[in-house]
Amino acid sequence: MTATTAASRRARPTAHRPADAGGPTLPRVVAAQWTALTTLRSSRWAAAPTVVLPRALTHLSAQASSVDPGFDPLGSLTSGVVLSQVPPLVLGVLVGTGDFSTGAFRTTYVAVPRRWPVLVAQTVATAAFALLTAVAAVAAAVLALLPSARSRDIALDLGRDGTPQTLVGMTLLLTAIALLGLAIGALVRRSVPALTAAVLLVLVLPVVLLLATDLSTDPLAPATGGVPPAVAVVNTVVAFLPSGAGALLTADVVVEGAPDLGPWGGGLVLAAWIALPLAAAALRLRTRDVV
Amino acid sequence: MGGVPATATARRARPARDPRPRGVTLGRVVASEADKLTSLRSTGWLALATVAAAATAWGLGMFARPEPGASGAPIAVAGAVLSQLGFLVLGARTGADEYRSGTARSTFAAVPRRLPVLAGQALVTAAAALVVAVTALGAAVAATAGLRAAAGLALDVTDPETARLLAGFVLHQTGVALVGLGLGALVRRPDAALVAGVLALVVLDHLLATNPGRVADTARALLPGAGARVLLDDGRLDALAAGSLGPHPGPWSGHLVLAAWAAALLAAAAYRLRRGDVT
Repeated sequence: MTATTAASRRARPTAHRPADAGGPTLPRVVAAQWTALTTLRSSRWAAAPTVVLPRALTHLSAQASSVDPGFDPLGSLTSGVVLSQVPPLVLGVLVGTGDFSTGAFRTTYVAVPRRWPVLVAQTVATAAFALLTAVAAVAAAVLALLPSARSRDIALDLGRDGTPQTLVGMTLLLTAIALLGLAIGALVRRSVPALTAAVLLVLVLPVVLLLATDLSTDPLAPATGGVPPAVAVVNTVVAFLPSGAGALLTADVVVEGAPDLGPWGGGLVLAAWIALPLAAAALRLRTRDVV
Repeated sequence: MGGVPATATARRARPARDPRPRGVTLGRVVASEADKLTSLRSTGWLALATVAAAATAWGLGMFARPEPGASGAPIAVAGAVLSQLGFLVLGARTGADEYRSGTARSTFAAVPRRLPVLAGQALVTAAAALVVAVTALGAAVAATAGLRAAAGLALDVTDPETARLLAGFVLHQTGVALVGLGLGALVRRPDAALVAGVLALVVLDHLLATNPGRVADTARALLPGAGARVLLDDGRLDALAAGSLGPHPGPWSGHLVLAAWAAALLAAAAYRLRRGDVT
């Protein structure tokens, strides 16, 4: 009796939907991944510093420069953005590798035998979580400017020239960095190697390349006109790294010697950094065994 | 039938008369830790990647200014920033992997006094880091030989600056591995230790350098990133000291700052190991 009732109850939706509607549909997988993401303790650990770090750093930076004669509070808006990329990056890697490091992937892929919906759902859930966190982080950074702006009686005008772009760019950058972490994590599947690769790509490589320009220039020599070719090469490489492309997203800066990509170009470079490892991860998931 | 147990007892009884101490000794713990490290296949890959990272000095050396007679050591050690990640991972993994996999339970059941395990891990990590660092330095020197010859840069080991940079490379990387071990053993998660180590060694140092000021320069001199000063040539050290508003430790004092961080982290890890629960 019970079996028949359950079967008939489950049978009803099939009248309107494709035959496998009783199974793991994409919205259900997304809901499952959202639950997995938000119940993890590490997500909360990642979200808190994403919001708190830029707030504290922007506050300090604005306070420090508020004594300057030509103080512009909005100039300090992006001062926390480098450090606040770290928590979303780690969160993304942990979402991508989490199932594989605990062994829960066996259950996940038994439930979703076609596999790729899991990756899509992880991307959607991570993007949503990171976007919420990023909006909160950018709002916190703006709030952090208020005390020093008030101390000099400067009104914050968020609609002025580059500011809307900076606000949107910072939000998108933090979201994109989380997705980059997810893509690397899903491709590599083991947390320590994935984290090493992600940290290397986003945080260490720009510093290493700066060292290259350091080697090519004399620290005590006076600056001469023109861009040295070595600096131009390094700046071009940095502009095509995730962090350099992300910096183009937040501000309309002209990097000397690098091709002028603009915010849209920077955004595309960053999107390619996410799409390529994600596609490779999908291919690995589709064609290889899950272990 | 009864002879078998008797023989077994007699055979087992013989080592008791042996003058060597039975049970857990530091030497045996060190040997077991060395076994654990060398049995992992990933250790070999990690060492290979670290040596390769040091050899990227070749790529960075292509940017070098030709300056006949100057020291080629700054170029030979230019891969240090990249390859120190490998040493950090080595230390963090040694310190934290057993807690993640659960084998820490057997380890501490076998060594109930616990602290010898940490001491053994420190010895093994330092030894492994020394070997890998010397290999990496050799690879970097070999990889940049052609570039240095073309740019007229000499590598004279009797020159004190060159000797400091080359020895500093090996000591710095060993120090980084021990900082990684301290972080790993303290937080007991390899990923968290890795992120904390990269932040403290590379990112914070770089951020503080781009926002100079009295507070930032003082913090920069006291963070483990100050250890990288042992890898700067004299000209750059002078430029750093001239631009700093806070204390500016010399190359070896900077290295001592790194060593002090390693010691403090290991001490904190030992305190947690001694007083806290092993979970």
